[in-house]
Amino acid sequence: MPNAVEVKNLSKAYGNIKAVDDISFDVAENEIFALIGPNGAGKSTTLRILATVLTLSDGGASIYGLDVRKQADKVRQIISYLPEEAGAYKNLSGISYLRFMAALFSDEKNKQKEYIDMAVLICGLGNRLKDKVKTYSKGMTRKLLLARTVMTRPRLAILDEPTSGLDVINALEIRKIVRDLSLQGMAVLLSSHNMLEIEFLSHRLAIIDKGKIHDIGTAGQLKEEYSASNLEEVFMKLTINK
Amino acid sequence: MKKFLTLLKKEIQELLTPQMLVPLLVIVVVFVFVGKIIGKETSKAKAPQAIEILDLDKSATSQQVISIIEKTNFLPNVSHSGGAEEVIAKAKEKNAKVALIIPSGFEAGIKNFQPQKMEVYTIMKNFSVMASVNSQILKAALGAINDGLSNQLLANSNPKIDPIAIKQPVLADDFVVIGEKQANISPTLVSGFITSQTTFIPIILFLVIVLASQLIATSIATEKENKTLETLLSSPISRKAVVASKLMAAGLVALLTAGVYLFGMRYYMSGITGGAIGGAAATDEASKAAIAQLGLTLSTPDYLMLGLSLFLGILAALAIAIILGSFAEDSKAAQGVVAPLMVLVLIPYILTMFLDVSSFSSGMKILIWLIPFSHPFMAAPNLLLGQTSSVWYGILYLAFFFVVFVFIAAKIFASDKIFTMKISFKKKRP
Repeated sequence: MPNAVEVKNLSKAYGNIKAVDDISFDVAENEIFALIGPNGAGKSTTLRILATVLTLSDGGASIYGLDVRKQADKVRQIISYLPEEAGAYKNLSGISYLRFMAALFSDEKNKQKEYIDMAVLICGLGNRLKDKVKTYSKGMTRKLLLARTVMTRPRLAILDEPTSGLDVINALEIRKIVRDLSLQGMAVLLSSHNMLEIEFLSHRLAIIDKGKIHDIGTAGQLKEEYSASNLEEVFMKLTINK
Repeated sequence: MKKFLTLLKKEIQELLTPQMLVPLLVIVVVFVFVGKIIGKETSKAKAPQAIEILDLDKSATSQQVISIIEKTNFLPNVSHSGGAEEVIAKAKEKNAKVALIIPSGFEAGIKNFQPQKMEVYTIMKNFSVMASVNSQILKAALGAINDGLSNQLLANSNPKIDPIAIKQPVLADDFVVIGEKQANISPTLVSGFITSQTTFIPIILFLVIVLASQLIATSIATEKENKTLETLLSSPISRKAVVASKLMAAGLVALLTAGVYLFGMRYYMSGITGGAIGGAAATDEASKAAIAQLGLTLSTPDYLMLGLSLFLGILAALAIAIILGSFAEDSKAAQGVVAPLMVLVLIPYILTMFLDVSSFSSGMKILIWLIPFSHPFMAAPNLLLGQTSSVWYGILYLAFFFVVFVFIAAKIFASDKIFTMKISFKKKRP
């Protein structure tokens, strides 16, 4: 059985600027794997390549053995991607948005209903789903979008900064959703610049800065290796020393 | 196909927002309202108008003048005593806009070949076109009076000669030649007819192209800004379907807008042209027959060709707009990136409206023909002039242009250029 994600010597350049520079990592089935690093570290670019939105410049990447470049169409059928600070169509109601997205993933009415029911359950927005998305708070939109991302039970969920800009309560709820989904068999690849959050959420993580991965391991392993009390300290020691 | 329809429905829902529909409806209501007012005013002007006449001569000739005035749609109220002040006061009192004084000695003067002056008072309450309509009609009546009286004078002095042969020894008999066909009609009537038939097309086409291009460019830019495009392009749907649904939705909304504008403008124009001051309009049977003889009417295949040319023109604009929209990072930038397209539409719009493109130098002609939007603008006059082949060339060129640009758009959407291309007006970092 191939890994959920396999990334080998992946690079992405915009002209002379290397946004991602020769990185390698893998994500196992059922695993929550996090890319952590500051803004501009290359996290989003990596996730966008794996979500088949951007093309890679060099190296290779596969999702459950499917090449993200050559088999992008097949990859799109088993993944689901939540972009950072994404919005929804403002003139649609929450439920219309879910219906629209469900219809893109399946032509079967039963399947679509199944997806929508699941999303309604996960987002917990109740009657507010009938309101237009433009009336939602940031937290409500994020919950709607997270529910949309996972409602099709993708084999891999790619979540870019899933809790960015949210208050403590909303962030906690989203973390719980992610954990539950992983327990149900979904692999999750996420990014965050909130290192403390990742410490509690992910099984393993990679520390990325200036397009390069500096180290990979569990939070415990990394803290022990660098004699640090938290991941922020690990990050500082890793990046400043290099 | 189902997914395409899902996308199309979403695109239309996103485009047909109250923010888009309300201004459109307001414009149409304004057009209809203004058209109605103008129509009402012109029919008012068409109805017989009161005129106050002071006939101080009380002669057969002055009676003749009054009867000619009456025949030219006036309701004269004649008095035989008083002065200018009285007649003006009477006119004001009866809401007549024109007052006229026939001086005493009028008939005797005319018979002695001395030109006579009639004082004409126009009571102006505003300075609109309508305010001077009556005095213009009266001027036409005076023309008829002069004609009648001079004929009479000439006939009296020499009954053997036809007065018309003396007054107009040379007459122009107007013929218009179009291609191999010719007809006995004045060129003014022909161009008036063509203008009335084709005037809407460039205006509507221009409005639709501008609106549809902005719609599609803004739609792409907004999707990029909200990151909904990233979600869409990572979903299991064909990217061609994404491009096609955007094109079709904007095209359909543009056609709807065109229909609504057309309805409003026809109402508006019928108000204006239905009036008494229509000027040169080929409405009589002889003129209609002459125009038909010249082949200046569009047949069903002509209409189909015209429709095809207009539709392809809109599609070509949309294909360019989708590419330009890809450069915009947000909805504000979308308005800016479609500016080159607006210029491309504006050039043939203005040139074909005011100038004769066929008289341009070869270099200029090629330049105009290379602009795809010149072809739909020129299609209607070309079809009327029987130049079908040039309309076909235009249609083929537009189709080719559309296919090439859709291909480029599909390539952009299939790659990550849709996210990486941008026009930045900010200073580049060193």
